[in-house]
Amino acid sequence: MNTHRTSLSTRLLSVVAMAFMLFPLLTVIPVSFTSKRFLSMPEGNWSLRHYEALVSNPDWFHAISQSLTIAFATSVIATLLAASFSLGIWYMRSKWATALIGLVLLPMAIPPVISALVLYFMETKLGRFAPGMGYDTLTGVVIAHVIMVVPYGVVTMLVALSQIDRRIELASRNLGASLMQTTFMVILPNLKLGLASTALLGFALSWEEVAVTLFITSVNVDTLPKRIWSGLRDNVDPSVAAISVLLISLTLLVLIGRLVVQHLADKRAQKLQHS
Amino acid sequence: MRQDHQQDCIEVLIDKARDGQINRRTFIQAMGLLAAVPLALRSGISWSADKPLVVVNWGGDALNAFRSAWTDTFTKNTGIQVRIDGAGPTEGAIRSQLASGQPSWDVVDVESYSAIVLGREKILQPLDYNTIKRDQVAPALSSDYGIASYQFSYVMAWDSEKFGENGPKTWADFWDVKKFPGKRTLYKWMNGMLEAALLADGVPADQLYPLDVPRALKKIDEIKPHVLSFWSSGAESQQLMVDGEVSVGAIWHTRAKLLSEDTDNRVRWSFDNGFINSSSWAVLNGNPGGTQPTMQFIQQALQPEGQLKLFELLGNGPSNSATEKLMSAKQLEANCASEENLKKQIALNAQWYADNYSKALEEYLTRLSK
Amino acid sequence: MTTTLTSTLTAPKPRFSSPGLERGLLLFPLPVLLLVFYVLPFLGVVGWSFSLPTPGIEQYQRIATDPAIHEMLWRTLRLCLTVSGLALMIGYLLAYCWVFSPPFWQRVVEICIFIPFWISVLVRAFGWLIALRSNGVLNNGLMGMGLIDQPLQLSRNEIGVVIGMLHVMIPYAVFPLLSTMRQLDQRVLMASRGLGAGALRTFWQVLLPQTLPGILGALIMVFVFCLGFFITPVLLGGGQTVMIAEYVFLQMFQTSNWGLGAALSVVLLALVSALIWVLLKMTRVNRLVG
Repeated sequence: MNTHRTSLSTRLLSVVAMAFMLFPLLTVIPVSFTSKRFLSMPEGNWSLRHYEALVSNPDWFHAISQSLTIAFATSVIATLLAASFSLGIWYMRSKWATALIGLVLLPMAIPPVISALVLYFMETKLGRFAPGMGYDTLTGVVIAHVIMVVPYGVVTMLVALSQIDRRIELASRNLGASLMQTTFMVILPNLKLGLASTALLGFALSWEEVAVTLFITSVNVDTLPKRIWSGLRDNVDPSVAAISVLLISLTLLVLIGRLVVQHLADKRAQKLQHS
Repeated sequence: MRQDHQQDCIEVLIDKARDGQINRRTFIQAMGLLAAVPLALRSGISWSADKPLVVVNWGGDALNAFRSAWTDTFTKNTGIQVRIDGAGPTEGAIRSQLASGQPSWDVVDVESYSAIVLGREKILQPLDYNTIKRDQVAPALSSDYGIASYQFSYVMAWDSEKFGENGPKTWADFWDVKKFPGKRTLYKWMNGMLEAALLADGVPADQLYPLDVPRALKKIDEIKPHVLSFWSSGAESQQLMVDGEVSVGAIWHTRAKLLSEDTDNRVRWSFDNGFINSSSWAVLNGNPGGTQPTMQFIQQALQPEGQLKLFELLGNGPSNSATEKLMSAKQLEANCASEENLKKQIALNAQWYADNYSKALEEYLTRLSK
Repeated sequence: MTTTLTSTLTAPKPRFSSPGLERGLLLFPLPVLLLVFYVLPFLGVVGWSFSLPTPGIEQYQRIATDPAIHEMLWRTLRLCLTVSGLALMIGYLLAYCWVFSPPFWQRVVEICIFIPFWISVLVRAFGWLIALRSNGVLNNGLMGMGLIDQPLQLSRNEIGVVIGMLHVMIPYAVFPLLSTMRQLDQRVLMASRGLGAGALRTFWQVLLPQTLPGILGALIMVFVFCLGFFITPVLLGGGQTVMIAEYVFLQMFQTSNWGLGAALSVVLLALVSALIWVLLKMTRVNRLVG
């Protein structure tokens, strides 16, 4: 129960912040309806041509589905790896922890273009040993994305773990639980938000990832950012704005749906209380 | 058939196959005639005809344009599949292809001077001028390692709403912010910009090369406070001018043409005092698809019909002068490489760029960021 | 029974020797994976910094002495710190509001944070260009309200870059902060207020220290992310705001100066490591590493 009230000034400031976050919608939505072939405001000529292009052009669909697959796989694998590593660090509490964390955070600390090159060389070599897994393959892209994304996951998980009281681990072990039992039945349930954040972060980062992807793919794999970036030298297809609007609408539907469900559940709870 | 002659035939066949001159079916058939089918199957040759040719360009609209103009026809004529990768073959990207030890690109669409630079370092293969007829293009448009695929120009575009009918005509006008006030835009990657600065500073057109880089940079410092943005993409140059944010710009002629169409001729431009540049085909050394198909492809891409199609789709001028015969009067006007328009422009010197681009670009970019 | 439990809880923590294998299984897969698939190839790149174009340390000497590089590094630092600081403050605000709001407002805050995720960075950048131009929404609004009489140059320069980057970074700042704040014991805050401390004091002496791990995590993540940014700065910076990510890109692909690009990454890596080490030491947050 929230009995701590936020002050008026805090709430006002946060409204300003939220308005800032939503500001680009003012341009993205109109731009998706422009009648011209380049990014511009409709200025009276509203058109659905870019939405039509999304449906009629199979390339967009292909890119979106590949991006979804990659992002999903990346999110799952990266969360698993980040969580297990962070838990390992948390359990061991050794001096080597800092060094290991440093190692794991490397892809985050190195300029993306260098990572792109490093992963390109790695993928071409990998392709020689394991065809189907290297350069210009879906699996190859997932491997590269996991490497790029996992440092952020580790930071998120470590932060989440730092909030957990160690004594529950102790208590659990003293009550006879094995390490695995402790992990799954005691620690992880307390990390739900951390795990969810990590998974979401991993998905979002992979979804947007462009620098490395441009390097390690050629003609066989096409992700959404790659398509969006293609031909930036020439033009930006307003269908990109249309895609954003569609995704935003989807998210809104989900979030509003959640609101409605919650509202109904609250109402039912109230009814039960009164009866 | 004598034993050693048979061996000789087999070796020749294998060589031809490795080189991509004959396809798999022919090879197996021929080897069958020589009673050497087991050897054929163990030859370990990577079959270029089975592997698609990978052509790399700058993506976007060029992907479909290349397909319509060139690769579909090529596949129809030879049966070799072509895949286009819009990755943008910068010099660095091509170098990394070779550094990996296993390049996956075959033919690339690069700046003409890049073909010279990379050819010098043996990153590219010399072009096979037996398959490719070199005289289809002007002498300046071909080198040992590259032959022009299409041409494009850097022109001056200006906002007639701001200046009425008497807009800026020369590069000196571009630099004259008193007579022609308003924001400018220049190209971030420098091609054509140093030349413009030098012309504005009074250097006669025939004395431009070798470029006096310090003098040009000093002149650019002069205009820098008035440059709203240094455009690095066609989209950006178009955006800057279509909204009137910028009054005078040095942009690609293809963009200028689109701008004047999109703004109902509010944005004006001409080829006068423009700088014409060419893009070249080049082939990576050790490319996966074999040498022969790449040379065949390039030869085919130089044919007038395909070049005309590309011009219609993207607005780029053809490199093959014979294409002009197929153009209407209106098309010739918009063709940066037509005889008429060539007279108005100065050609960027690929050799100078091959020798000096990297160093000059670094200095240019440093000055821009100050 | 209770006494035994309490004494166990206050006893010195024993080392668990038997599940060493299990802990190892948890701990080692990731570093090993990264070692093989990333660190080893990266060492090859590091090698370039010492061998291209000629063997020696000339690239590092150049980094140490070239004023153009120093200017670029200073510009990067300045902009990234600004963006990180602002993102952290705004992120903290939003996380705080999320935690202490009724469910309806929580959903609103969530919408504001998640919606931007779906707008590609590229579209956002162009969106800002349209919104911030001289006759754009913002300038017209400000002029209409009489606050300014000449349009402000808010895009195609450093200001535009900061605005664009900030917008991308705020959600990434919110995540770690949300995680920390969620697990706050709100009664401590109430106790503090109950004891007479004002809002500011409560914030400074109670809330801030408790959320320190989240703040550090957010700061590290956002700052390092900013260093790697080059899409937004390229599009919103007017071609004139070159920061380190773009600069390295230029060295690798435009001017093919691989030695310099590699050397810069090594230097950057060293700086980031030093920064994180200093941050951890300063705040004595060893809880982050257990």
